[in-house]
Amino acid sequence: MSYDDVEIEDMEWNEELQAYTYPCPCGDLFQITKDDLKLGEEIARCPSCSLYITVIYNIEDFLADSDQNRQNKGLQPLTVA
Amino acid sequence: MEEKDESEQRVWSWGAGTEGQLGTKILQDENFPQLLHQPSLSSVSSLACGGAHVIALTSAGKVLSWGRGNSGQLGHGEVVSNALYPKAVTSLDGYVITHVAAGWSHSAFVSDPGCVFTCGDGSFGQLGHGDQASHYSPVKVSCFVDQHVAQVACGMRHSLVLLKGRCCYADCAGNQVYGFGSGKRGQLGVNDRIKSVNVPRVVSGFEGVEIIEIAANGDHSAAVSVDGHVYTWGRGFKGFEDAHVPQCLNSTLNFTKVALGWNHALAMSGEEEVYMLDQKRQPKCRTIRLHFREVNLEKVPGLDEMKITDIATGAEHSVIVTGKMQSCSQAKHGEIKTWGWGEHGQLGLGDTCDRISPATVSLDYDLNEAASIRVFCGSGFTFAITMP
Repeated sequence: MSYDDVEIEDMEWNEELQAYTYPCPCGDLFQITKDDLKLGEEIARCPSCSLYITVIYNIEDFLADSDQNRQNKGLQPLTVA
Repeated sequence: MEEKDESEQRVWSWGAGTEGQLGTKILQDENFPQLLHQPSLSSVSSLACGGAHVIALTSAGKVLSWGRGNSGQLGHGEVVSNALYPKAVTSLDGYVITHVAAGWSHSAFVSDPGCVFTCGDGSFGQLGHGDQASHYSPVKVSCFVDQHVAQVACGMRHSLVLLKGRCCYADCAGNQVYGFGSGKRGQLGVNDRIKSVNVPRVVSGFEGVEIIEIAANGDHSAAVSVDGHVYTWGRGFKGFEDAHVPQCLNSTLNFTKVALGWNHALAMSGEEEVYMLDQKRQPKCRTIRLHFREVNLEKVPGLDEMKITDIATGAEHSVIVTGKMQSCSQAKHGEIKTWGWGEHGQLGLGDTCDRISPATVSLDYDLNEAASIRVFCGSGFTFAITMP
């Protein structure tokens, strides 16, 4: 069972982890990447325990974000991890 | 300062330990209580445990910290990730610290005669300095420089400050409790639906009430008044609505202490009994959102006649200390009992199972040897210390 429902705006972008994070009661962080969000994934997991949360977000916000990035970057080649 | 033999004091830790928060010098969880052999902890008078860090206050008013430090919550003044053993917060050496608090990733300190210092993550304004900056050393909160602060409490992303009552003008005017940081779930109690504030704001609803203790954890806030009432505000406990102003619990009991988890709370009464606030596993009707004032307090089951001398709550677990009991047949020893979520060993029962009722922790130590024992919980870990 999902531990909690958390709105994406309440999650914090973690540059180091390259993921949106939210505190897990075990002390670690629930994590979900932008790529996960673009795929419609709504479960953010904690790497240290069995708990997970359901992320409330609008998938269009992330699909639009990537389109915009491509336009802004212009001729720069896209690097895919 | 004190010359008496302090070697008698013992400190144990157990539970989640992969950030160094157990002070065991090893980055691993512990399912059994670990006796710490740390000379620096020989005169600890109190602990504050946060998301994954610990602040220790010594009887001489000095501060030590360890555990996760990536946001500056240890106050060591440097960008260190973790500290595996207690390290002095030297920038506070010029002060006598009287109270400490630890949130998810920030910390607060009260100095004699009543200033507040904060450090750590400030992204939500929870440090109270008027911005969203983080600090790696404790910084004095300017709002309180002319005030006399008694206590601080730190939640996941917010802080509460309690001014000293009675001796000053604050108590009757209702401006005795302040909140700052994230307020989205009502945890600041400022009667405004604000996302966050980065300077302290007065918690509303305490006109004519004298508060003697405050508590914060997760998105919850609580206070105990001098006449034994418990007030809670912030995120609603399961199935209940958020409260943006403090709500007095509807009870005739005389409470002395409250401890908050992320989804539950414990309250200790003057009769040394412990009550649990709304931790019903299966609400009878999930579709009806109950009014906050109807929150039921249930006496924690299975404790019979035992007197409770201390309580503590982690994010999802509870810890209590039972007092010595004298009966005609036997003298029952004081014990530590735990229940709740146990995945990281935070119950100290030797496994990672959950418990729905209090179970006794084995310390291999006669607790009657100590004058008293106190317990403290971080999100997923637990500390117990004997008081000489």
